[in-house]
Amino acid sequence: MSLRKAEKNQQTQADEKWSVSEGTWISSVCSMCYGGCSIKVKVVDGVVRKIEGNSDSPLGNGRLCAKGTSGIMTLYDPSRINYPLKRTNPEKGKGIDPGWERISWDEALDIIAEKMKKIHQDEPRKLFCMGTTTCASMMRNSVRSFTVSFGTPNFFSGGGGLHCGNGAHQVAGQTHASWSIVPDFDYCNYVIYFGASKGHAAGHAGNTNAQLSSDARSRGMKTVVVDPIGFQGAAAKATEWVPIIPGTDTALAIAMVNVLINELGIYDAEFLKYKTNASYLIGPDGKYVRDTASGKPLVWDANAEEPKAYDDPAGDLALEGSYEVQGVKCRPAFELLKEHVRKYTPEKAEEITKVPARTIRRIAREFGEAAQIGSKIVIDGHELPYRPVSTIYFRGAQGHKNSLYACIAIDMLNFVVGAADMPGGTLGFCPAGLGHPETNRPAFYPKAGLDGLLVTGIWMSPHTPYPIREPAQPRTMGLGEMFPFALSSPFMVSSDQEEMWEKIGLPYRPEMILDHGSNPIMSVGNDETVINSVKKIPFIVISELYLNEFTDFADIVLPDTCYLERLESAPNHPPILNHPAGMGRWGWPIRQPVIKPLYERRDFAEVLLELAKRIGISSNYFATLNLMQGIESPYRLEMEGDYTWEEVCDRQLKSHFGEEKGLEWFKKHGLISWPKKAEEVYWRAFTKARAPIYWEFILTAGEKVEPIAQKYGVDFVESYYRPLPEYNPCVSHEVKDPEFDLYGIYYRDIMHTNSFTMQNVWLDEASTRDAYIYYINLNTSTAARKGIKDGDWICLESVKGRKVWGKANLSEAIHPEVLAVAGCTGHWSKDQPIARAKGTFFNALLEIDYEHASPVNLNMDNCVKLKVYPSAPEDKGGVERA
Amino acid sequence: MPRWGMIIDLNRCVGCAGCQIACKAENCTPLGVTFSWLDSQEIGTYPNARRVAVPMICMHCEEPECEKICPAGATEKREDGIVTVNPDLCIGCKSCVVACPYGARYMYEKATTYFPSGRTPFEKLFDGRHSAGTVLKCDFCLHRIEEGLRRGLTPGKDREVTPACVINCMAKARYFGDLDDPESEVAQLNSRATVFPLKPECNTRPKVTYGGYLLKK
Repeated sequence: MSLRKAEKNQQTQADEKWSVSEGTWISSVCSMCYGGCSIKVKVVDGVVRKIEGNSDSPLGNGRLCAKGTSGIMTLYDPSRINYPLKRTNPEKGKGIDPGWERISWDEALDIIAEKMKKIHQDEPRKLFCMGTTTCASMMRNSVRSFTVSFGTPNFFSGGGGLHCGNGAHQVAGQTHASWSIVPDFDYCNYVIYFGASKGHAAGHAGNTNAQLSSDARSRGMKTVVVDPIGFQGAAAKATEWVPIIPGTDTALAIAMVNVLINELGIYDAEFLKYKTNASYLIGPDGKYVRDTASGKPLVWDANAEEPKAYDDPAGDLALEGSYEVQGVKCRPAFELLKEHVRKYTPEKAEEITKVPARTIRRIAREFGEAAQIGSKIVIDGHELPYRPVSTIYFRGAQGHKNSLYACIAIDMLNFVVGAADMPGGTLGFCPAGLGHPETNRPAFYPKAGLDGLLVTGIWMSPHTPYPIREPAQPRTMGLGEMFPFALSSPFMVSSDQEEMWEKIGLPYRPEMILDHGSNPIMSVGNDETVINSVKKIPFIVISELYLNEFTDFADIVLPDTCYLERLESAPNHPPILNHPAGMGRWGWPIRQPVIKPLYERRDFAEVLLELAKRIGISSNYFATLNLMQGIESPYRLEMEGDYTWEEVCDRQLKSHFGEEKGLEWFKKHGLISWPKKAEEVYWRAFTKARAPIYWEFILTAGEKVEPIAQKYGVDFVESYYRPLPEYNPCVSHEVKDPEFDLYGIYYRDIMHTNSFTMQNVWLDEASTRDAYIYYINLNTSTAARKGIKDGDWICLESVKGRKVWGKANLSEAIHPEVLAVAGCTGHWSKDQPIARAKGTFFNALLEIDYEHASPVNLNMDNCVKLKVYPSAPEDKGGVERA
Repeated sequence: MPRWGMIIDLNRCVGCAGCQIACKAENCTPLGVTFSWLDSQEIGTYPNARRVAVPMICMHCEEPECEKICPAGATEKREDGIVTVNPDLCIGCKSCVVACPYGARYMYEKATTYFPSGRTPFEKLFDGRHSAGTVLKCDFCLHRIEEGLRRGLTPGKDREVTPACVINCMAKARYFGDLDDPESEVAQLNSRATVFPLKPECNTRPKVTYGGYLLKK
């Protein structure tokens, strides 16, 4: 009887609004993180009922993580901003009510345009634009384009770059022609992760990489994860977890290079000779020995026993030995590398990293043997080197003062065994594309540039990572001219910014911030410093989803659309950001509004077009959009034209895929997809471009930076400007006070993106059930030593006296000298009631100044030495345990 | 008659909680009610320690304690093996919540919303879906399975009629299908010696089983 009743229930359910057969599916692209996975959204009566992965797309293959599905609750969160707001309280401060007053869009745009017009006429550099890495494609394609066309070089993405990328992205650009690196999961047999979680995390092609990494794991790929914490990310899935002291990965990686080339003699000589500058002859001054006539770097032809230009046909290139060329004694770069790394013995590395020397030797040997140097594989009809080993780095390893060398040293392992961008090895995210077969567009390919070294085919900003910028007197707020390896700069909000600006004689001060979605008060470092900095700026405009800690300092707040209400024609372009690497298919989807924007929310791309018009810079903006979006004739935006955002998107799509495939076609079909070729995925085998293993251009940059730094009284630190990587300690490593005995770090949990997902009510519910996210995690033995029990309130105190509180979670899977907190928890804005007072705001412990930044690429140091003790909190920053 | 079951590969799972949220979106479960959720446990001691993510769901036991204890006849193991609660019969006594060894049942005391300001448009689509005063639990997305059978589709193979947590899993760690169909992926995987149920000592004979890491007892 009850079975019949259940059947009756089902029959009724089939007619419900939420039933399987109701509604329409619309294809789009997720933006709950910068991973850009393809989605399908089901809409019933104008309401979003479900979000799933789009199984027609290689970007996610129909799968979707927690964040992606939870977007429904970001769309319908009653805390969203729905109307333009104007501040009525002139007093700004933490906890001070701005006194928001609702205004019309017209009034808001009038106020903003009037202010911007004045700044544009007076000194455009007084405008300081911001964007968020969560909307990375929008940041590149719209916000940065607008910034350039306004005529200001001052751009900031909050903690983006400063934490995760000044080393990682720049070095990946210089060595793999891409934004990030990932194992070639299809073929890799042995991978070493250094503070990275590709395939087990949010971000860069997250859903596809999770499938690929799981396939590889099931197939038996060995995963070694070097990380201070083992309870999440790649470490939780590792075959072997190698706990390490934060910020010391460089010493470990150099020691492994030493073991490989000096103790074991394992290296890929052919690869080093022809795909790197290992054979370039280096003189006693540490620089290339150049042909006097052509200026080209010379190599030694071992057969002819004479020097040749690096690009001349030669019998065999010498990697070792001493030569005399043009009266100068010189040696191949590889010989210098061999000699340089000798001082980094595994025993020395053990002292620094606390990783046992025997483990270092074993892992290096396993890696070298698994590389199968000399082996070949046929893919797509091409016989290619087969190197099924990979090392990758990311935020954990690179987020320190020694950011640049950490990336160089870790990546060098790939180059020593010839595994860079070869089958089974370490791939850049899609740096080479020959275009759709019907149009051959979009096309981009890495090529050999100055001195034969690699130049990217496509990049995230107009300036390619190599050749590097010419060091010069700084005229930007971030002083980037003096730090040519920096992508982003802490001086945009640092405690010593005024001091630095006075030193270099910055001829202006910022007068306005125009921000799309970045919350620097939570994302950079301690909030006190950032607040002091932004409080000085008289006019702040923010387009946001929620009122937050930063909007408390804004003068105008604009109601932004979330990704479900937004149009973007290039959400996965350039593919170096988030398109899955490896063989398979290309995908170019569009992001489209699945419902009309709710209330008065407005797409910031449209707002920028309107502002450009009102300020009178539309022609500049169109020119930049043509350049950054790759819009070619006959679809180029005309200087005197007047375009809606839909028209801009339509022209970009037609320019790439032909007259028939404009916006309407894409709205209907969702995406275009075509097969990848081996010449694209394994492009390195098909080009003469070489990667640096001897970084001569760091040395020469340093020679130019030093006099500029000296002239302006800025410290120049020579040990960061050498052509071969060195281990340089973090500030935290030099703290001698025994009371401060633990390293504090934060980690990026797979459930969250930057700070904004903390307000998502479903993700909060899941985080509350998680044993780690809202807690301060420390090793069980450390806790016992300090009298801390599971669930106790504890205080973390930095050497500078900064304090945060939280509840302890005891774990075996964390280094006993380390404390870890999930990043960007601990909101305090009353306007985010879900996020408020959950977890611990770790960044409050981080100093933001030159001392705590890399002297070569300005990456911030994200570890801090701490004193930890049980403490009843003055201002609890956490929640009761679920 | 099929006998539905699921296998979760703990080696593939990356602990993203995508299953939990996919279930939320598919079934609009109320605040605090998670038919599908992510547990985890640490195994080993430092430095040979790791955290294993353990996605949880109703085990749809062959010998369900919840059915045995239900005084109202509301809980029933259907012929296809799915354990359901009939809200018209459930008296909200919570005996089953206590009896379930897996914590898979939730007493939905009174109607709640996620936000104090009221139901979102999304929540309004699900009016009448869950009855306050009754016990709620996972039903393997029965509405999808029934729809599939009506349309001649195969749950476990055809995406739109397979449980939401399965089709969305970013690591492809979940498999669903008819345990009695020797051709099905779940039947083939289930025959492996390394597949195990949670809490075998309870003798509930779960139709959700696990592979990959061995867990603590």
